[in-house]
Amino acid sequence: MKWRWAILPLLSVVGTFSLPGQTPAARGPGRANTREFLGLGPAPDAVAAERGEKLYGPNCGFCHGAKANGAEGPDLVRSPLVLHDEKAELIGPVIRQGRADKGMPAFAGFTDPQLYDIAQFLHMRVELAVNRGLYKVQNIITGNAKAGANYFSGPGRCIECHSATGDLAHVGTKFQPSDLQQAFLYPTARGFQSSGPKMSKVTVTLPSGEVISGALKRLDDFNVSLYDAAGNYHSYAVGPDLKVEVEDKLAGHRELLKHYTDADMHNVTAYLATLK
Amino acid sequence: MNFLPLTAFIAALVPALCPAQMLNPKKLLEQPTDTWPTYNGDYSGRRFSTLNQINAGNVGSLSLRWMYRIASVGPQRGVGSPAIKSTPLMVNGILYFTIPDHVWAVDARTGEELWRYDWVDKGGHLVGNRGVGMYGNWLYFLGPDGWFISLNAKDGKERWRKKVADEKLQYFTTMAPMVVGNHIIVGVGGDAMDVPGYLEARNPETGDLQWRWNSEPRAGEPGAETWPNKGAMEHGGGMTWLPGTYDPELNLLYWGTGNPNPVFAGQGRKGTNLWTCSIVALNPDTGKLVWYFQASPHDTHDWDNVETPVLFDAEVAGKSRKLLAQAARNGFFFVLDRTNGKSILTAPFVGTNWAKGIDAKGQPIPDPEKEPKVDGSLIDIHGGGGTNWMPPSLDPTTGLFYVNATRGYSLGYLTDTDERPEGYGGSGRGLWSEHVLEAIDTNTGKARWIHTYQSSGNGGLGGPGVLSTAGKVVFTGDYSGNLIGFDSANGKMLWHFQMGQSLGNGPMTYELDGTQYLIAGAGDTLFAFALAR
Repeated sequence: MKWRWAILPLLSVVGTFSLPGQTPAARGPGRANTREFLGLGPAPDAVAAERGEKLYGPNCGFCHGAKANGAEGPDLVRSPLVLHDEKAELIGPVIRQGRADKGMPAFAGFTDPQLYDIAQFLHMRVELAVNRGLYKVQNIITGNAKAGANYFSGPGRCIECHSATGDLAHVGTKFQPSDLQQAFLYPTARGFQSSGPKMSKVTVTLPSGEVISGALKRLDDFNVSLYDAAGNYHSYAVGPDLKVEVEDKLAGHRELLKHYTDADMHNVTAYLATLK
Repeated sequence: MNFLPLTAFIAALVPALCPAQMLNPKKLLEQPTDTWPTYNGDYSGRRFSTLNQINAGNVGSLSLRWMYRIASVGPQRGVGSPAIKSTPLMVNGILYFTIPDHVWAVDARTGEELWRYDWVDKGGHLVGNRGVGMYGNWLYFLGPDGWFISLNAKDGKERWRKKVADEKLQYFTTMAPMVVGNHIIVGVGGDAMDVPGYLEARNPETGDLQWRWNSEPRAGEPGAETWPNKGAMEHGGGMTWLPGTYDPELNLLYWGTGNPNPVFAGQGRKGTNLWTCSIVALNPDTGKLVWYFQASPHDTHDWDNVETPVLFDAEVAGKSRKLLAQAARNGFFFVLDRTNGKSILTAPFVGTNWAKGIDAKGQPIPDPEKEPKVDGSLIDIHGGGGTNWMPPSLDPTTGLFYVNATRGYSLGYLTDTDERPEGYGGSGRGLWSEHVLEAIDTNTGKARWIHTYQSSGNGGLGGPGVLSTAGKVVFTGDYSGNLIGFDSANGKMLWHFQMGQSLGNGPMTYELDGTQYLIAGAGDTLFAFALAR
């Protein structure tokens, strides 16, 4: 598809989502950011958690489950006592003394460092369940690459703008598959970033007939502003006598969103992933 | 509406001498004019004002009267700059509004600060705070970490605090407490840890629990058959994080419930998962369920159904009916008979390819093919939903329901394939989207007009609420910092004001000394407008 121009196209709003009314500052990826937003407190000690897992498994797992989310014994990932603990100060005494009334034996032999390690294992389990900043999209290359290639050159009409040996050469190595899938569906959504689309080219025709074009800075229902080639700033009130045209390279991508089946999407992803 | 059932309660509450700040409880039963006594202005949730001093003929001369900027709080944990998402209350010339951890009282005529209350949280989400509730001389506020706090409206001094939720279990508390009779209704949020939702009524004088309604049935109770087992049911979610509405004549409280848990992973909770993603009608004196309507059976898309259930009366097939309308996050507009929850109409207002049809009860039927998948499923609705928490408005004179909606596409991924998944169990990724203001005809469910906001900015989820007025102007905001007045009949833009930050709350209005004020919150600033003198 050729680059298209359209009057006042709809520009994109992208980003991840997970929470109601979330602000952009909270939306970024990553472990620390999500931890802070969720108010999860100090991060677990990963090295101690690894040691703790070896103690937890044979001593606790048979009752509380290998993932500590409950079996015959209670779910420890959602235990207020575990959640209010930081360094085994609450968990330690329960392990040592047991809860005879509830059928939990005492494990009096653990040393303080061992109790700390077990507590850190539990805190890591909480972290892995709750901190969605850590979630990883699994293998998504499930489609048929050949069918994807056919879609690319056939009904998708992708080859009108793109080339597997030109602009898309090596995309299979440049992107993680999940980013690749998101990126081809809507390029400005690529890579989880919530930042806005790159500056588009805009052409403004004044009532006098004079034409000004350049890089769009801002557009809303009332104003349009841009920088021309010389770097000069221009700003206009939007009105019936002002013609505003914004370069719209993504109209084809938007149109395709209406037509893809999930199989088409997975096939194209599989095809693009072969472009190493 | 007939408000007789509450008159005895009102007579008992109003003492001979009222302190200057006291809210006359009668105001809760009127349409808001000289008072805005509760989150939505009145119990109906319509956010319609009968004031018409500001109207379609003169709104062009609407001018800034004052601003109040939150200058001394600084970035908030995990969310950045302070953002006003609360709808202020206005009682006896004083505005009460909030952000997470803070409450202000400012003069409604001048914006002058009278007092500020600061809460030091020990956790919880600072995602937003919707405001305070008021009963007589007392204000009610929720700290983000599960604290229910009562303040004296006169000076902002704390009266007492009660723990209503454990923030370590990832509950958060952001809603504006709602006052119904002598009950303070408090809901909770939080879906990171697969905990059960609930709604509580608390005593206005002591904060003690009066009743608790659980978002899931208990084993053996009706509704339990919609869950595969007790464990899934006990981790079922269904949070109650936005204020509901109330019909004093029917004495029914209407509330929306959030998504089931784990959010995106439904394999461990096969069934419709009652009463998540539903509108429920409760008896406010007992907390007993009277009826329910499930908007998203077995939701796997994070489509909390907490959006305001708006109450109105209208003729259906020649008969006057008591109705309830909701524009739901799942993309459907619902109209129900609010006496019994029976469907009047169900119509999509954005894409809804996640549903393969509508059942006999008017409830959408989810398409299993469009549940989140390991390799992704493509949904023709934005990940934040067709709309979200931002309050809509219903103008009974136009019969139109105004809602800020989002059209778009997103990907749903399943990341936890365990038979007992945890947490979110998946994730969503945004693709293209655009924001629109829709004026939906409550008779047909079809939009009579739609305004598509032109924007080169990146609005994200945002949250511009809507106010409609008898002046035939609908006020709301775009995602580029403009507060806009639309002609309520046809969507023509009549007025705008560039606030520098985008509208983040529901605008509200009141009349004082013969002047109609319009209040809007954008980022860290509250703006007050009135006609030019």
